[in-house]
Amino acid sequence: MSSERSFKPSSHPSSRRPTLGGEFFVPAVLALITLVYLISAIQLGPPMKAGNMTASFFPIATAILMLVALICAMVHALRGKAKAPATEPTTDADSTDGESASRQYLGLTLGAIGVIVLTAGYLLAFDLIGYFVATFVYVLLLCCLFGGGFRDKWPTKLIAAVAITLAGYLLFEVVFQVRLPTLWSQ
Amino acid sequence: MDAISGLLGGFAALANPETLLYMIGGFLVGTFFGAVPGLTSVLAIALLLPLTYSLDVTTALVACASIFMAGMCSGSITATTINIPGAPSSMMTALEGYPMQQRGEGAKALGHAALGSMIGGSLGALLLMVMAPLAADVALLIRTPGKFSLIAFALIVIIISQRGSITKGMIATLFGVMIATIGIDVVQPLARFTFGTSALVQGIDMMPLIIGTFAISELLVQADSRNSRTVDPGMIKAAKVRRRDFIPPLSEVREIGALRYLKSAAIGYAVGILPGAGGSMAAFVSYAESMRSSKHPERYGKGNPEGIAAAECANNSMCGGAFVPMLTFGIPGDPTTAIVLGVLVINGLQPGPQFMTQQLDLIAPMFASLFVSALILIPLTLYLLGPYFLKIVSIRRDVLYSSIAIVALVGSYVATYSTFQMALALVFGVLAYFLRKQKYPTVCLLLGFVLGPSLEEYCRRALSINDGNPMIFFTSPDSLFFIALTAVFFYFMVIRKPRDNGLGTRPA
Repeated sequence: MSSERSFKPSSHPSSRRPTLGGEFFVPAVLALITLVYLISAIQLGPPMKAGNMTASFFPIATAILMLVALICAMVHALRGKAKAPATEPTTDADSTDGESASRQYLGLTLGAIGVIVLTAGYLLAFDLIGYFVATFVYVLLLCCLFGGGFRDKWPTKLIAAVAITLAGYLLFEVVFQVRLPTLWSQ
Repeated sequence: MDAISGLLGGFAALANPETLLYMIGGFLVGTFFGAVPGLTSVLAIALLLPLTYSLDVTTALVACASIFMAGMCSGSITATTINIPGAPSSMMTALEGYPMQQRGEGAKALGHAALGSMIGGSLGALLLMVMAPLAADVALLIRTPGKFSLIAFALIVIIISQRGSITKGMIATLFGVMIATIGIDVVQPLARFTFGTSALVQGIDMMPLIIGTFAISELLVQADSRNSRTVDPGMIKAAKVRRRDFIPPLSEVREIGALRYLKSAAIGYAVGILPGAGGSMAAFVSYAESMRSSKHPERYGKGNPEGIAAAECANNSMCGGAFVPMLTFGIPGDPTTAIVLGVLVINGLQPGPQFMTQQLDLIAPMFASLFVSALILIPLTLYLLGPYFLKIVSIRRDVLYSSIAIVALVGSYVATYSTFQMALALVFGVLAYFLRKQKYPTVCLLLGFVLGPSLEEYCRRALSINDGNPMIFFTSPDSLFFIALTAVFFYFMVIRKPRDNGLGTRPA
């Protein structure tokens, strides 16, 4: 499976000290989310009332367990960093292959950022300009992203974008009778 | 007699042309998704979920069952021919299948895989039909405290079965439980964790979570590959297979032996019942047992059909076992059955002890679909499509992933006709992407989300009927049984397991 690819060292210079990677930051971000959740749970009221559990008991207990597990994960990441020799490059789990390991922003590779931006744009356009235009442009740009740019085999990509847009319309609107937004129905 | 006629009625339902079409279509889709490296049958069923809003529930369940069965066996195609398992459950098959391919016996290896899958899948489906009503009778004996302990047992086993990453499994599961608490409280009419947003009052729907976790995150992961096709065309030329070579010689089938097939099917079925185990563990346990009991263990790893038969028989038999806890207790043990549970919930059905008797007419076609998919469609698909398998799975990545994106996103829109669900799918997709990169099991996230509300509900109900005294969990015999069972599993899976350096293992 793609998610189970073997890890290769990232392209950090060998003289650098190992830095904290996603192994630490992912649980750290989850800990922040959990803290916000825990505060909201406490605001719901006392966990026990007249000997019975209230709506806040279970979330408070879950959040506390979660924080304990997250602290364990962060300590594990810090220990792993401390054990790694300064001269050794980090073996961050973020690095999935040579290409993707080279450039990452906030733990996201360029390709992943591309998909997120295109999808967010598609969601905005879906309601505004309807299924057909939004889907055609989205699919065309995705084909370019997954197919190595627009210059290479662009007629095929255009045909694929039209075909996928029409196939999606047939599947949802015609076969499954889902009313999709259109430019003329806005 | 009613049960037997109900089950036979399930086979009759498959004669309906529309239902039959969805079963065959589902099988082909499952074969494709299972065979393409990077895609899984779970993703195929996740993409089917939004469509179930417009489908008849029986048809949707029939399609789910055939996708499940097909996905479990088709991973062996690329595992054998190019040494890349299409699905995690086919990793053991690659160990034996690829050496056979290198000897020029790839087609025969695929034939053994199909035969094992056929026998295992059919026996698993038969055992499901026989055992599920008995399990439902047992489920009737379990009361509220016992239900809490049973769900807690399932969640703990799911966590501790994450070898080498128990902490990560726990984090993912608890995060799923936390997400499930958003919205109206399970006992009293109180909105929780809405953060002032009316859109969150109804809670998080299962659909965006599933689509985000399994489809959108896959798009993000795949976005960095530079390959233009899912399988390198160069490999296809090197791995030509002929239709006539698919039939395994009778002498080799005899050497494998009926007992090995039966034992592997039993192992797969038993593993399937366990929460969180899945096809990979079924194949691994069966393969290990087959090697242990073999007359020629030295042949394993060098292209031995025995290993292929054991692994494939077990992972397909697992499909039948996985449905038992979901249908009788409403507890899914793996992502596929969790999504099937979603199909039932979308249609206003709630599995439980009496579900098997009250709704047998709805689910009997699903059992029949599992059986027919294994017994007929597996060998038929291999014979008809076998020589073209690699060409079929070598598809342009831009076309494949663009199509998946559209089905996933527009599918999310179907539930409420709102782009909010689509946005949630994107948010969960990004979250799952980070979790996957750091090796957090996203399956645990889904199962925590599905089982969390029941865990809270039964916990609170059990305590309220006993004036808040938690001793009810230890004095109630059914609850005590599951607590003891949890302790047994914990002992064998955590305390007695070999030490390794992964996160969450025993301290040295």
